[in-house]
Amino acid sequence: MLINPLTKNVTDQNIATDLERYLGNGGYVGWRKAHTIDPDKIIDLVKDGGLRGRGGAGFNTGLKWSFVPRGADAPEQKFIVCNADEMEPGTFKDRLLMERDPHLLLEGMAIAAYAIGASIGYIFIRGEYHLAAERLEYAIEEAKAQGLLGTDICASGFSLEIFVHRSAGNYICGEETALLNALEGRRAIPRAKPPFPQVSGLWGKPTVVNNVETFCNIPHLVEFGVDWYRGLGRGEDAGSKLFGVSGHVKNPGTWELPMGTPIREIIEQHAGGMHDGLRLRGLLPGGGSTDFLGPEHLDLPMDYDVIGKAGSRMGTGTIIVLDNKTCPVGLVLNLSQFFARESCGWCTPCRDGLPWVVKILQRIEAGEGRSEDLDLLHEQCKRIGPGNTFCALAPGAAEPLQSALVRFEQDFFNHINQHRCPYR
Amino acid sequence: MPTITIDGEKYQVDGEQNLLNTCLSLGLDIPYFCWHPAMGSVGACRQCAMIEYKGKEDQSGRLIISCMTPIRDGAIYSIEAEAAETFRGSIIENLMINHPHDCPVCEEGGECHLQDMTEMSGHTLRRYRGTKRTHRNQYLGPFINHEMNRCITCYRCVRFYDDYAGGMDLQALGRNDQVYFGRQEEGRLENGFSGNLVEVCPTGVFTDKTFSAHFVRKWDLQTAPSICEHCAVGCNTAPGAREPGNGHEPILRRVINLYHRDINGYFLCDRGRFGYEYINSATRIEKVFSARHETVISSTAQSGDRLHREVAPQKALLHLAQQISAAQDNRRHMLGIGSPRTSLENNFALRQLVGPENFFSGLNQRDQELLQLVNNIQSDNRILCPTTPEIEAADAVFILAEDIYNTAPRISLAIRQAARNRQKQQAQSLKIPLWQDASVRQLEGNGSPIIFAGTELTDLENIASTTLFETPEKVAQFARSLALLLSNPENAQTGLEPQQQEIAVHAAEILRNAKNPLIISGTSSKHAEILHAAAQIATTLSEQKTVPVMLYLACDEVNSLGLSQFFSGESGYLEQLLQTLREREQSEVPTTLIVLENDLYRRLDRKSLAHLFEHIDEVVLLDTLFHSTSKRADWIFPAAATAESQGTVVNANGLAQRFYAIYEGKGFIQESWRWLVDAVEFCTEKSGALSQITSWKHSTDLSEAIAREFKTLEVLNVLGPDENYRIDGLKVARQSGRYSGRTAVHAQEHVSEEPPIQDPDAPMNFSMEGIHNPDKTQLQANIWSPGWNSNQSINKFQEQIGGERKGGPSGLAIKRSKHPMPEWITPAKETATEELPDIPNPVQMQPVYRLFGSGELSNQSKCIVEATEAPFVLINLAEAKIPGIHDGQPIELVTSCGTYRAEARSAPTIPPGNVGVPYGLPGLETLTPLLPGYASLRPAEASASIED
Repeated sequence: MLINPLTKNVTDQNIATDLERYLGNGGYVGWRKAHTIDPDKIIDLVKDGGLRGRGGAGFNTGLKWSFVPRGADAPEQKFIVCNADEMEPGTFKDRLLMERDPHLLLEGMAIAAYAIGASIGYIFIRGEYHLAAERLEYAIEEAKAQGLLGTDICASGFSLEIFVHRSAGNYICGEETALLNALEGRRAIPRAKPPFPQVSGLWGKPTVVNNVETFCNIPHLVEFGVDWYRGLGRGEDAGSKLFGVSGHVKNPGTWELPMGTPIREIIEQHAGGMHDGLRLRGLLPGGGSTDFLGPEHLDLPMDYDVIGKAGSRMGTGTIIVLDNKTCPVGLVLNLSQFFARESCGWCTPCRDGLPWVVKILQRIEAGEGRSEDLDLLHEQCKRIGPGNTFCALAPGAAEPLQSALVRFEQDFFNHINQHRCPYR
Repeated sequence: MPTITIDGEKYQVDGEQNLLNTCLSLGLDIPYFCWHPAMGSVGACRQCAMIEYKGKEDQSGRLIISCMTPIRDGAIYSIEAEAAETFRGSIIENLMINHPHDCPVCEEGGECHLQDMTEMSGHTLRRYRGTKRTHRNQYLGPFINHEMNRCITCYRCVRFYDDYAGGMDLQALGRNDQVYFGRQEEGRLENGFSGNLVEVCPTGVFTDKTFSAHFVRKWDLQTAPSICEHCAVGCNTAPGAREPGNGHEPILRRVINLYHRDINGYFLCDRGRFGYEYINSATRIEKVFSARHETVISSTAQSGDRLHREVAPQKALLHLAQQISAAQDNRRHMLGIGSPRTSLENNFALRQLVGPENFFSGLNQRDQELLQLVNNIQSDNRILCPTTPEIEAADAVFILAEDIYNTAPRISLAIRQAARNRQKQQAQSLKIPLWQDASVRQLEGNGSPIIFAGTELTDLENIASTTLFETPEKVAQFARSLALLLSNPENAQTGLEPQQQEIAVHAAEILRNAKNPLIISGTSSKHAEILHAAAQIATTLSEQKTVPVMLYLACDEVNSLGLSQFFSGESGYLEQLLQTLREREQSEVPTTLIVLENDLYRRLDRKSLAHLFEHIDEVVLLDTLFHSTSKRADWIFPAAATAESQGTVVNANGLAQRFYAIYEGKGFIQESWRWLVDAVEFCTEKSGALSQITSWKHSTDLSEAIAREFKTLEVLNVLGPDENYRIDGLKVARQSGRYSGRTAVHAQEHVSEEPPIQDPDAPMNFSMEGIHNPDKTQLQANIWSPGWNSNQSINKFQEQIGGERKGGPSGLAIKRSKHPMPEWITPAKETATEELPDIPNPVQMQPVYRLFGSGELSNQSKCIVEATEAPFVLINLAEAKIPGIHDGQPIELVTSCGTYRAEARSAPTIPPGNVGVPYGLPGLETLTPLLPGYASLRPAEASASIED
């Protein structure tokens, strides 16, 4: 049975799988099959399959779709939107999928559009992903030419147009409601929820926003069914996932592995372990906005709830490794600078709190910190916690910082006491 | 009604509102920034955090943002919980990171919401040690200062300017802590409501530039309730005045909004806010003048112009007294011309002095007939004169030949809110609370239908669903057809062209299906047929819906409708005055004409006026400003302006409202009626009518006399308290309790404090002594409550947030006897077939209006002058190809009363054969009596100047 549905068409060569090869490899079978199934049944299938959003939040995808109003009273126009604004620090998984196998994404979006009744789809893609955008646009033309997209697809009466929209570049656009605002030409600031996009999204119409990888899971889930899909995972969570490792490891990269693959296996087998002479001190399991885990967590399986219980988040599943020769204060400063810069400026704790955090960390890193600065940092982390801010950006920014303050407390003290960065 | 618990107290509350609004309505204090009572919640600042507990056992609860929290029945909340207080303090600490703490040099200091909220939060110690962000400020025009370093990024400015008022040229730019609120490039803020930024901004980013020029702190201003005199809407204002020091008398320093739920709510237009400077302008009449008996040889003066010199008031009064006495003995005719831009009291005084038969309205026949028609229409039971909240609730709007943004701006702002009702309905169907402002606004864009038919539509054009640009005659015909279609959708014979027929059918369907249709029209097109058609549409709809239908009729001036109550039938217009003069041509008895606060050159054409002045032996003018008529006056008395006097005016909705003196006018300046009373005092013989006049000591004496004389104006008796009214034995203080420098102001003369001037008209002091509490009286315009120094303190004086002021609304509807308006008879002659005059390139001049430029008084305000366009004429250059006339080129309008030079401006919506001529625009004022009328259009000759 197929165990690498996401990357089965990905080869060593940096070329996009064209339509001919995609079809030859069993492409668009899921899409053709979907037409024979009632849309509601597809939503149930995805729900039962246990597919959880691969953008970071891990919400059940089928459940998300089921909130879209249906029936005669529901608005006729609905939208399907792909969040391809991959800007999470340390994350480079969606890029692989879009550059190497663009039709997989299109097929996934098409099935999702059919399931919720959307006739227009947008791929909101990170502006720097020129190659992926070009390859997607080419793939859309290929699919349209074959009648796989466009009007009255495969004589089913169903129509779907997909457009690629290049982002002007803003991390907050990864937040789905800010993405919708940006897509509408407004300022990229998150919207209040409720209403959720499924009810009132793009231009006030029902809209589903999913991550690239989430969509890429759909075609094979529809083709091979729930049992096959659930069987892919090694632990509680279903399916396979792209995991990645960056940091001072021998072989940084990204690989498709079953959900529930232990962290140690990912780092040591696939990423080749630490560089010689370096020791692992900690890791961010799912990108820059997750809490640090430590060496004691290496044997945990990469499952949403397991990582959550350990005090972090699985996020995007792309691990950032911290070794013993790298300054944790510097690392957190680097991340904080990113989040402070990317704050949309809407709510006070994030807009004004994050730049303050950066200034404090800069002081500490420059050897000018005071011990009360640590209290201030702890306090700031609390202030920008979940529920206190308008969206999840600032709480995400707090995660690496708050865990570093505990896990690497001595490093912070050393900076302050020695009036310099001990790693330099 | 849901019951909630806040800090242990149980309250029954309105479940429709969010928690913050509810708490404020209950009188509880919670700091907030981004929320605004008129604009709802967006959850940006996070300042209004509270704690919500799951139940009685829950000790810690969870932090909630109260402005984003719907009321839950049975919920337990806390404002005082430590976690909430700490968090609110932390928000202030964050906001203060970049705030410059420049309160001592900031114009907002002392009425700053940021100061108030900082105090309220209890946060005192800022731990930030870094540098502060700095911004570059922009030039935003003559009205508004820009100081971005003070910004706390609450987004209120753009939410008001862009979202609420429809402005296009102020944006939030950039991101993170660098967000910048400004224009893409420097320049005047184009929206006509930009002044509200001053009040909407919680700190000193946007401040009043005109106020800065003669700045004092809020607590150093004396104030009283006033009515804006710059159009007929009747917005309530709180002007502020103070002495400039060095022994000089007080000057007017600014105008701010005074909340009135049914009229202006929280917002004023820029003409109303910034027009006040006419009072301090160089054209102000401040002394008594008489004409010199010399022939004018100066080249700049027109023939007939008088040269004036200052005279002692006693001399002028003695002279006037002699003339009055002469008139008593029939040795002299005495005629009076009133004015729609001054109070009923002033008009009444002149009327009583000269006798009703010798008193004229100061309007030409057409304008007066239009006002009578407005009166008649509004007296019809089927018509509802809508309040601003009612306008905002309309679900379909039909605007008939009224460029409402320029003629009644505050109403235009209300229509803009009405346009959102379809969006709001959709929000309700999605169960999105209406106070969730951003969520509601992101719903689909197509708003409630706004249908316009007329010559020009400003500002609302981009939200109008259907527009028809035609001449007033054609528009009236269209509207009559629409009325026909409403009553008889199947078989109406309209005779319209197919395209217009289609619009009419569409409009009829929309209005018929609307629950709350609103018709807007007015007198600005100067066409009775327009008013009739508007009324016909409203009454037809009313009969179908069996409820009164909203019809708002805009009038030109602050007291247009009030003045028209003095006249019935066909009497009092200026043409009749001309007729009277003609009849008396042979009479040996000389004539004195007293002109009350009126520039006749805006009312009658120059030829008629030349005739008028030829037959008058003496002109006495009482007015605030020098103008064309003052040049012809033999005697000039300085009249008190609105802010310097008390009186009553009636707005376009028939609401009588009283304004009160903010300060005593400079020097000899006093109310026109007081000049007349003073003159009568000088008379040796005082017959019956004159003895009545000398009995007037207080403004309210006149108000009461008017109430006795005119049944419709009976409400003047009970409109406001008279001068003897006391609260707890005290008058109301015009100055705040913190008014400073009472002795220092006159220190160069003497160190003792002068006794305050006594106000003979109102139970109010020109001092800090007396009642300060706006809860106790509507007369208190200094809206202030402990801890609430900014304008947001109005929260404390409303029944609930956005509701009526405690103690009820000010103003009372005049009592017009209800009777159906006379049946409209289709005009006998087809107006469209009127023959063109035999002149080259004949064009019909249609009046078009400008917020800055059409207001007589505001045109003398320096900042408004800066924002006013140079003379122009709107021409449909694409359709009407007139040789030698191009966009932006100078042209000449040759009229029966002279040639006017202006710039040709291409306007594709002006019907061919017509040109739009700006009403009252400086340089073209004397054209106004000719509008609408014919002129000949020609390219300007290179060196041509205006000729007579």
